[in-house]
Amino acid sequence: MSASLLAVGALSTEFKTDQGRFRAVDEVSFSLEKGRTLGIVGESGCGKSVTALSIMGLVPSPPGYIVGGSIRFEGEELIGLTTERYQSLRGNRMGMIFQEPMTSLNPAFTVGDQIGEAIIRHEQVSQAESKRRTIELLRRVRIPSPEKRYDDYPHKLSGGMRQRAMIAMALSCSPDLLIADEPTTALDVTIQAQILELLAELRAETGMAIMLITHDLGVIAEMADEVVVMYAGRVIERAPAAALFASPQHPYTIGLMGSIPRLDLEQDRLAAIEGQVPNLVSLPKGCRFRARCPFAVAACAESDPPLIEVAAGHEAACLRAPLEVA
Amino acid sequence: MLTYIIRRILISIPTIVFVSIVVFGLQLLLPGDPALALAGEERDPQLIAELRRIYHLDQPIWRQYLIWVGNVLQGNLGESIRLKMPVGDLVTAKLPVTMQLASMAILIATCVGIPMGIVSAVKKETILDYGANVVALSGISVPSFWLGIMMILLFSVNLGWLPASGFVKPSESLSQNLKTMIMPAFVLSSVTTAIFMRHTRSAMLAVLRSDYVRTARAKGLREPRVIFRHALRNAIIPVVTLGAIQLGELMSGAVLTEQIFTIPGFGKLIVDAVFNRDYAVVQGVVLCTATGFIFLNLCADLIYFLVNPRMRG
Repeated sequence: MSASLLAVGALSTEFKTDQGRFRAVDEVSFSLEKGRTLGIVGESGCGKSVTALSIMGLVPSPPGYIVGGSIRFEGEELIGLTTERYQSLRGNRMGMIFQEPMTSLNPAFTVGDQIGEAIIRHEQVSQAESKRRTIELLRRVRIPSPEKRYDDYPHKLSGGMRQRAMIAMALSCSPDLLIADEPTTALDVTIQAQILELLAELRAETGMAIMLITHDLGVIAEMADEVVVMYAGRVIERAPAAALFASPQHPYTIGLMGSIPRLDLEQDRLAAIEGQVPNLVSLPKGCRFRARCPFAVAACAESDPPLIEVAAGHEAACLRAPLEVA
Repeated sequence: MLTYIIRRILISIPTIVFVSIVVFGLQLLLPGDPALALAGEERDPQLIAELRRIYHLDQPIWRQYLIWVGNVLQGNLGESIRLKMPVGDLVTAKLPVTMQLASMAILIATCVGIPMGIVSAVKKETILDYGANVVALSGISVPSFWLGIMMILLFSVNLGWLPASGFVKPSESLSQNLKTMIMPAFVLSSVTTAIFMRHTRSAMLAVLRSDYVRTARAKGLREPRVIFRHALRNAIIPVVTLGAIQLGELMSGAVLTEQIFTIPGFGKLIVDAVFNRDYAVVQGVVLCTATGFIFLNLCADLIYFLVNPRMRG
């Protein structure tokens, strides 16, 4: 574990709302090695974005608070880090891109200005040098005629181009970790593929690690080395990508994949997962997925199952795992 | 850019024409006959008829309007019946006083209201935020005449720091001028300060939640740069536009303030003119104020255009 670039241990983040406190992220643990891609998958509201913001130290507070756990980045504990130190890591050693390229760039400043700002902030270079490097970055993320785009305002760029500009910004100081929070969700399918391809190429070129957050298993299949599946704030399955797709162990993961292995108990095919994500403010006792789970048994109502190793490097939080095909 | 400005200016023309009709029509609503008022106690019918002829009061209304517009276009706003002075001269004499008052008020509102709005947005739901909101609410709800009287009581009567009323031209003594103007400007600014504070606060709150502010933080920028460069630059756009319109509001708000502090500005001029049925003065002053208002609105649009890159296409 000591060699991990990023090691998250039992991270919990809570939000205070008028309805009460709820735990958006509940004892989440995972690690990410240098140069690897970790996929975090789950439906909206499962805590994957809050996990990412917790790592970046960007959880809006109030109402959000990290209430426990540890986040070690390059061996340094991030929880409780001074603001000054955090600011010197963000955009420098760790970069982040967001779901909404249309609103993630500041409309009042040119694209070049916004990218160059990060370089000047962290590397104290001259204006001319930052411009040279920014244009180089724009070229690297395959933005056509980068010299011209440098002086464009964001509203002149398409969604795909803006996401490229965001990637250029995140990569401006060659970070070791890039957190990509649903980077392609807001984009057209053809553009999605281009952006993913670009991320893969850049990873190969730079050796950075990517934490890729998505609700799209197709994206995971294409990009990730390891996968963490989250449900209602918890990690419910963790496995190498190949193993996960070959034999998903948690019923939720199986549901996400849109198929169910034949079991003696259940014959139907499940196209969609029935029901709703439970309300995090008043969680039911027992397994959080129980109400929607076709495999649920009485014991599932007793306690929330911990992650257990079902195969080498493959963990699932389900009483019934490993689910054996009958 | 140029076509936008030209189009915007052309749109202003029908507005000004409409305003001139309303301004001219206003006098018809005022009770009383100016010829009778001028003729004095005796009410000599011959004198009245003569006065009607001189001031075109015997003409049909549309002709009176055209005569008036024709004169206005030549820079002749008519003559004050009471003061026997060209209205143009009165306006040029009084306008700078009111403009100074309104400019000082907008300066105070900007220097107090906008920083207060920023602080209360950044320190949302803290004692600073609540304090700023109380100040803003008082600014809106305390009547200016009351605030004016209380300030006179405190600073003039009790402390003796500032003169209670009167006006000194800046050309005579700038320090005396500022001494006479600071209280009225403060009283006049109170509502605008509150409006600036509230608008800055809500605009900042919206912007601070925006994705691009999160991006700025994700870049590792320090908080002052995030707030003043990335957030304020966007939050200030609606406030700047509002400011130009508020300046127009202040010109009319000055009427009351000038009465309280007996400052010889536009406000006093128009109030005296209305009481004396001095139509030419009323028309001249209202027309100037309305045109000024339209001009400031035009400025507001152009400023909005300049500070907002999305508008530049």
